[in-house]
Amino acid sequence: MNSKERVIASLNHQIPDRIPVDMGSTGVTGIHALAVEKLRAWYGLEEKLVRIIEPYQMLGDVESDLREILGIDVIGLSPRKNMFGIQNCGNLKELRTFWGQVVLVPGDFNTSHDEEGNLLIHPEGDLQVAPSAKMPKASYFFDAIIRQDPVNEEKLDPVDNLEEFSDISEEDLAYWKNEIEKIKGTNHAVIANFGGTAIGDIALVPAMNLRHPRGIRDIAEWYMSIIMRPDYIHEIFTGQTEVAIRNLQKLYAVVNNHIDAVFICGTDFGTQDSQFCGIDTLETMYLPYYKKMNDWIHEHTRWKTFKHSCGAVEPFINKFIEAGFDILNPVQVSARGMDPSHLKNTYGDRITFWGGGVDTQKVLSFGSPEDVKKQVTENLRIFGRNGGFVFNTVHNIQANVPVENMVSMFETINEFNNA
Amino acid sequence: MDDILNKIAYCVEFGKINLQSPYPPDMKGLPGADELTQEALDKGIDADDILQKALVVGMEKVGIKFRENKIFVPQVLMSAKAMNMAIRHLKPYFLSGNIKRKGTVVIGTVAGDLHDIGKNLVAMMFEGNGWEVIDLGTDVSAQKFVEELKNHPGSHVGLSALLTTTMVNMEQIVREVKNVAPDSRVLIGGAPVNEEFKTKIGADFYSPDPQGAVEFLNSVASR
Repeated sequence: MNSKERVIASLNHQIPDRIPVDMGSTGVTGIHALAVEKLRAWYGLEEKLVRIIEPYQMLGDVESDLREILGIDVIGLSPRKNMFGIQNCGNLKELRTFWGQVVLVPGDFNTSHDEEGNLLIHPEGDLQVAPSAKMPKASYFFDAIIRQDPVNEEKLDPVDNLEEFSDISEEDLAYWKNEIEKIKGTNHAVIANFGGTAIGDIALVPAMNLRHPRGIRDIAEWYMSIIMRPDYIHEIFTGQTEVAIRNLQKLYAVVNNHIDAVFICGTDFGTQDSQFCGIDTLETMYLPYYKKMNDWIHEHTRWKTFKHSCGAVEPFINKFIEAGFDILNPVQVSARGMDPSHLKNTYGDRITFWGGGVDTQKVLSFGSPEDVKKQVTENLRIFGRNGGFVFNTVHNIQANVPVENMVSMFETINEFNNA
Repeated sequence: MDDILNKIAYCVEFGKINLQSPYPPDMKGLPGADELTQEALDKGIDADDILQKALVVGMEKVGIKFRENKIFVPQVLMSAKAMNMAIRHLKPYFLSGNIKRKGTVVIGTVAGDLHDIGKNLVAMMFEGNGWEVIDLGTDVSAQKFVEELKNHPGSHVGLSALLTTTMVNMEQIVREVKNVAPDSRVLIGGAPVNEEFKTKIGADFYSPDPQGAVEFLNSVASR
């Protein structure tokens, strides 16, 4: 089997020749630029600046040479513009980070500093517009700056929260056509993130790409709106879903079945020990929209649908399956109720776990290489049974992860696969 | 008197902010924590009674229900907002000393970290339980905590972190806080931290939920 066949077999709950591996294909399955640099140095690859593929979390490009050494089976396609509304392709320039690494960012990645020296990024790279995200000096990535006008109940209009969900442009369709041409005939599985399909993703609510976001943009206000202004939220989700399906139709005409999976939604429903809402809210507020999108995709394409949610979402997994999701990520095995054996035995024949390979809160970040080896072996054994598993860490590999731990993880996967 | 205090406690528990607020739907058109607190004060009810017999009672129920996963972040945020409305009316009584506080907590999200929902929830729970809260916001350095402790001697400290890359900054903050204020209790919280980490960095208390932190501080105050 080649990589593509391996991933497809696993997604179809058939037994692949080896456990397929993803590391770097999406904004939630990636590797921080510093960790990419450490890995490249460890394996003696060409010394070069790491290109940032997702600047919000400063994820680095896992290029083909590193991908091959690590045994990665998946490549990812991202939208033309990143979360700050800046074109992610085209010219690149250097950026010196707070941790001393020089990385490559898009040409329009224009930043400024606040009086404390923190790094500010501006929507569309326009320095005339107030910044939409900040990277503190002691941090390794950005977080949103909340830009919330005072909420006037009488004047609230769901259209304001739909500004970022518009019909796909000819320019974007041309971009996707070009991206697909580049990967046609690849031996790797391909996952695409078209954007626009995430329902209520709190990371997207502040709309860091918009110059002057209107509507509900404050995170706490958004969470309260779910119960305080449910009609308003329904109108947003209804409008968003209609646009998303129109866009999926146009995208499918361009992309066809050259991709294997599509990133639908990164809305986090889990906390460390609980959920962000009750199952009734999940059912009424979110699932109808997920189902519409997933149904359209399954009726018209061969794509598998990918749902990301951190945290203790075990009580929600049946609902995710009912809504038509094929894949769950990141499978946070450190959260309450997310025991790998329980998950695999209860849901493993109905949903693919794309993640859960190793805990990143404790084991990968702060454990020893032996700790990593032990957990990776155990989780490969549990999740790898009968397909339905793509190895990935629980969320992105962070900047502070020791290179020895990353290497231990990849070596363990390799040993397991060769055994 | 008990009737109106019960009503205020109920508004806090169920997140009824004011008359205009459409939430909860079954209380639409009814007065909320805002109007009822003003009414209680107008009736001459002691401000300290409003805090102790209404707000503390309401917030305690919220904290327990949240810990037991019976309510979720949105409901707690609504309750906190209702409580804040009530607290606004009580501010003059805090300033005049008519309401005695249990003590002061200096709270913040640690250096490098901008996540504040968890920290805000804990801060509001502390405040609703009769603690004065000095909220230093997010991305707070050890130096800032130390400066604030000098301004508020005898305070305790609450540290929050959501990231594995920033939780490590708690260690330096704990060390510097303990240097200048060895009697201050340092509480930590946030998704990646746990009991083991608390012990490792020399903090005094870890809780996976806000109510646990409130109960710990209350136990310290009553010693």
